[in-house]
Amino acid sequence: MDALETFVVESAVPAEAEAYRSIVADVISELMLGGAIGRIRIVLRPEDSLFQMAILLRGSQPPVRLVDVASLGYGVMERKEVKISIREEKYLPKLLEKLWARYGRGQVLQPERNTLIIRQDHDPEKEIVSLGSMLIADPKEGLQSRLIEMAIRSTPEGFRVRYHAMKENSFIFVASEDTLKPAWIQQAHQMLAELQEEQ
Amino acid sequence: MAAVLEPYIYEGGIHKHTLITELLEDLGGYLIQKIPAATEVTLIMLIPKKDVPLIEELGTKLLGKLTSAPLTGTEIAVVSPTLAAHHLPHSACDVAEHLRRDGANTNMIGLARGMGRRVALSADYERRLINEHDIALFSFGTFADCIKNKKPKLFEGIDIPIIATGGPDLRTEDVPNADVYVGNIGRVAHRLRKSEELSSLDIMNHKVAEVVGLMREDMSKDPLSVLPPRVMKEIYEQIPQIEQVLTPAPVTLQLDGLRVKLPYAEFHKKVEDLQFDEGTRLIELARVLPSKMKNYILIKIKRESEVGFAI
Repeated sequence: MDALETFVVESAVPAEAEAYRSIVADVISELMLGGAIGRIRIVLRPEDSLFQMAILLRGSQPPVRLVDVASLGYGVMERKEVKISIREEKYLPKLLEKLWARYGRGQVLQPERNTLIIRQDHDPEKEIVSLGSMLIADPKEGLQSRLIEMAIRSTPEGFRVRYHAMKENSFIFVASEDTLKPAWIQQAHQMLAELQEEQ
Repeated sequence: MAAVLEPYIYEGGIHKHTLITELLEDLGGYLIQKIPAATEVTLIMLIPKKDVPLIEELGTKLLGKLTSAPLTGTEIAVVSPTLAAHHLPHSACDVAEHLRRDGANTNMIGLARGMGRRVALSADYERRLINEHDIALFSFGTFADCIKNKKPKLFEGIDIPIIATGGPDLRTEDVPNADVYVGNIGRVAHRLRKSEELSSLDIMNHKVAEVVGLMREDMSKDPLSVLPPRVMKEIYEQIPQIEQVLTPAPVTLQLDGLRVKLPYAEFHKKVEDLQFDEGTRLIELARVLPSKMKNYILIKIKRESEVGFAI
């Protein structure tokens, strides 16, 4: 499943659905959920004060380890330095935090934007192996809270009566300003089933 | 009879900008607001109509730019259904910013319970606060059904002109009780900077200016007994404490009055006793009221027909 391979917003007035799609797209990109969502379908019925959303998540992405985003090598051998050249800068802040915790702030040098030098006393070869398997980021982390944040932000604000169902790889959200009818929730589950059937 | 004053904004370097303010004073114009920002300065001013070329000439010499600012001297309430991230900062703040570019002073008002369809409502305090302004601009969302059928109940109790903005392209007649409806400014989650978005904001400014023009025309039939900028000048000269007020516009002009950002309890006597060269005091020409906004002072100037004379 590709990222956002299905992204449909339905409403009685096509122009309004289109406008709402742009809002949801903005919210998704703001919360960096683009990579996590595979298929999403939203149905809006302002005349009934109803908002239904079904999301199918992409297969969980593997956690990111240091070897995936950087190459490790030796610095000055006499001083047992380890050199890290990072390829994806977005992981740098998290990496630095972990390195500081492990070696202390004074021992981690950054002579250049994408290069880190670590001063340490252990055998550099072993250190490189153990650093390489260091967990830097887990895409699953915070996904649940970001999904809920996305649902709340994209719903019209007055729709404060909410239903949600979250499973391993799916998320259903129904909101209204009146009491939710069982049929509405049923429809949302139906929407999810249709998303799952899509090839 | 006072000279006809034209509103303009000057944008230029801070170097030698006092030449402009001095010339303006000599010509009998009024400096409404001065906004210095590092090496740049923005001057919002009222210039006597026949002397505009003089200021323009000096401005060009100082490499600045003089543009007409039709909303100068108005205080506009930009009302958003709530202060949640659904409405702010985009598009309500973008709307307010665009109005300020034409010289208006704007106040953002977020209602406590303005969201939703059936549940939307406004409180008495909020309505009175909005009514202190010249114009109320309501920033609405995406759905035509809400804007036509549900949201207009927020207009109840608002007796100043109402402008509504929203996403769908509706006619003003479709929105009950709104004086003007401006479309294509609905709910968005990004800053309004695409060309079509900016052009809708330009249309909005144009329509607001039309409403202001009508209000000014209406007022000219029974003019104010004293011009608000004249009162502002006297406040700056006679109440030195106004210099210590840190808000961007310590005295905010309205079409028919002013908001003075000094505590009412302490200063209302001084404001009432403002002396004019003609020998009258402000209390004879205006009502000095406690404002609903913080503990500020609100001045509403009486009409010539009520006072019997104008200065």
